[in-house]
Amino acid sequence: MKNKRIKEDVQHKEWEKSLIKSKDFKKIFYYNQKTNVRFGLTFMATLIDENIIQDGILPNLLEEEFREIEDIKQLVPVADVQICDDPSLIEQKLLNGYVMLTVETELKHFGFIAAQKEIVRGLSQPEVEFSVIGPKEAFVESMGQNLNLIRKRLPVKELIVEEFTLGSLSKTSIAMLYMENITNEDNINTVRQRLTNVKFDAITDSSYIVQLISDNSNSPFPQLLDTERPDRVAGILAEGKIAIVVDGSPHVLITPTTLVEFFSSFEDYFLNWLLSSFFRLVRLFAVAFSILVTPIYVATLSYHYELIPKDLLSTLITSRREIPLPPILEALFLELTIELLREAGARLPTKVGQTIGIVGGIVIGTASVEAGLTSNVLLIIVALAALASFTTPVYRMGNTIRLLRFPFLFFAELWGLLGIVFCFCLLLTHLMRLTSLGRPFLEPIYPPRVTDMKDAIIRLPFEKQSKRPIFLRTKNPIRFSKKKAEEKKDIDE
Amino acid sequence: MKEQPIPERLQISPFLVFYLVMSMQIGIGVLGYQRIIAMDAGYDAWISILFTGACVHVIVWMIYKIGETVGGDIVTAHKYVVGNFIGKAICFIFIGYFIIYCLTIVRTFIEVIQVWMFPEISTFWFSFGFMILCIYIVFGGFRTVVGTAFFGLVLPAYLLLTFGWAIKFSNFYNLLPILDHSIKELLTASYHMSLSLAGFEIIIFFYPFIKEPKKSQKWAHLAVLTTTLIYTILAIITFAYFSEDQLSRQIWASLTMWKIVEMPFVERFEYIGIANWNLIILPNVCISIWVASRLIKRVFNIRQKVGVFFVAAAVLSVISFVDTRIKINMLNKYVGKMGFAFTFIYIPLLFAAVMIAKKLKKGKNK
Repeated sequence: MKNKRIKEDVQHKEWEKSLIKSKDFKKIFYYNQKTNVRFGLTFMATLIDENIIQDGILPNLLEEEFREIEDIKQLVPVADVQICDDPSLIEQKLLNGYVMLTVETELKHFGFIAAQKEIVRGLSQPEVEFSVIGPKEAFVESMGQNLNLIRKRLPVKELIVEEFTLGSLSKTSIAMLYMENITNEDNINTVRQRLTNVKFDAITDSSYIVQLISDNSNSPFPQLLDTERPDRVAGILAEGKIAIVVDGSPHVLITPTTLVEFFSSFEDYFLNWLLSSFFRLVRLFAVAFSILVTPIYVATLSYHYELIPKDLLSTLITSRREIPLPPILEALFLELTIELLREAGARLPTKVGQTIGIVGGIVIGTASVEAGLTSNVLLIIVALAALASFTTPVYRMGNTIRLLRFPFLFFAELWGLLGIVFCFCLLLTHLMRLTSLGRPFLEPIYPPRVTDMKDAIIRLPFEKQSKRPIFLRTKNPIRFSKKKAEEKKDIDE
Repeated sequence: MKEQPIPERLQISPFLVFYLVMSMQIGIGVLGYQRIIAMDAGYDAWISILFTGACVHVIVWMIYKIGETVGGDIVTAHKYVVGNFIGKAICFIFIGYFIIYCLTIVRTFIEVIQVWMFPEISTFWFSFGFMILCIYIVFGGFRTVVGTAFFGLVLPAYLLLTFGWAIKFSNFYNLLPILDHSIKELLTASYHMSLSLAGFEIIIFFYPFIKEPKKSQKWAHLAVLTTTLIYTILAIITFAYFSEDQLSRQIWASLTMWKIVEMPFVERFEYIGIANWNLIILPNVCISIWVASRLIKRVFNIRQKVGVFFVAAAVLSVISFVDTRIKINMLNKYVGKMGFAFTFIYIPLLFAAVMIAKKLKKGKNK
């Protein structure tokens, strides 16, 4: 018998009316060679993998004995084959990359065969959270791949993956991950509630979710941690936190978080505890330095030059002797230049960006000093402050820190040192009022919890971390039994 | 009307009472209490500090006893003793007291700033900014207020070390001979000292906000003990640093002592000290605003937010009129007297009344 392939016009149904306008909508009819059953395949050509149709579906349906729709479960070698009789599902299935199979004799039933085309970027190294030691895998844009990376690291049945579809237009799949036997039930419910409450049409990245489900969307501080490291996600899931994977985004969200977590790099866990504690302290110092140093310069030189010892003062005066601008304008000029360079560098391709950085840094810096617009000392200070702000391991937090400098500058100009302390009080209050998933953001500093301090400003050795963080209120607060580890030995035993 | 218990998520851990009490006790007084107590008792005044500290412990014990008996704050205690209406009328006085207290602290701090840092700073605008900050804090709820107390104590704690520079130039023989003043002089000094150590009485206002209040009592006592020791040690250092004659001319002796601090990159340390003092003053003001607005809520049954705005507005509208050293001094004197009357006279009376009422009620039930 001959292989017949016919295209024909049928009466259009409701779901077809808009789809037929698209060029990639395909509807093709065939005859089975043995039973002569006429069947049709409907699909969106851009969404499906043609190889699956060519190799998996068509040969079997054309050459094997195919009589009714029920047969496809045996004939088609694809795992996801469904048969249903609800026409309202058709549109959604077609747009999710299914091939619809219809048989002339059974107009009430539709067969759906999954044939999605998966374009997955290969695994690459983490770029924002790069670490010298430790795994070099980073998340990609495919949710399936990302879930695979996480599940591989936690192969236990207690790891639950709950899926949601959000966005009236984008229909983005979002997965919420948690450990059933550890994570606090209230936290899970809150996240579930907030995700289902999201009202937005197109969710194209996890950053949308960050902004949509944050406790306080008017805060410059990120209240959800985003990471591109699967190992970090596995680590926090074991602690009892919740991870949110968004399809199409290479960043996974972590909640609830605390402020100190934004200053801890995951590399800290790969190093000896002494080293990692030292690096954490360096980072915290860098943050304080980065925020405060320019405002202090402005405050002391505008109001309190008596503060500076005589020898140092003469150095400062020499460098400022020919500057016509008051300290605040001088500082604003330089700070804005640095922001400009950073912004330009971030938008340009890497190689051009580097050039801009060097040209900007050296040429503009030197030129502005020689032109008498800024002093040498301030140039050093601003450059160091910018450098310090880049030590923050989480990119989002780094941005926040650069922004914070400006209100401090304003208050320094207004009330000198007093203004800096005043602005600090404002910042502190804001942080105290901030919550992440209803849990205090400043924990364990305030409310002070000594037991959670062991992995906050410093990180104590793993043997000391036998308990999960208190603020998560986990169902099972014990990570491992400490008794075995506690056999103390005397000298020479 | 049955009183609603405070939900647990709004309550604070018992040990936080330590920070609350201590940060309320340490305030603007630390900058210049040495001269006032040395006026009467001379360099024996440190004994008076210890004596006052001991008295404070007794009052703290009484406050906890009152709270335990009536199971609530001062409004509940008044209702327990004299009934709803008169009780609320008495509380009305305390609203006034805390507003004036708040006013005094802010104004005195601004005076320090004006004398030592910025002669030109506008009293109104600085207090305006300060009040906005306080409103922001109090709107965050009691937990945020306690947080302010915590940071207001922990962050500036390093300032204590800076008094160490003065030890190098101290002469501890100044303190000798010990006990060359009469008991009466020592008691007068104790009275003056009570103004600096006051502030612990706020426990009676936030008692229902403590999780397991019984456990917090030891923390309250520890806080009072620590404050007393800090005041005593600082007084001894001051007495050793200044001669008696010199001290009588130092209004802010602690600030003067900072002048000796010298570091390779900082001179005139008092600038940093005063700027940091902002952090220490903040909980004082916030707690008193919180207490006043809480009382307004309890007495008039209106939203606490309205109360906060009222308190801030009241302070702002008056503060510009207190513009000279004499007026500020007068304000301080009156607040001191009111504080003394409230803490050391009224609370023991209330304690006695509550105890009697308890006995009477027990008798009735039988």
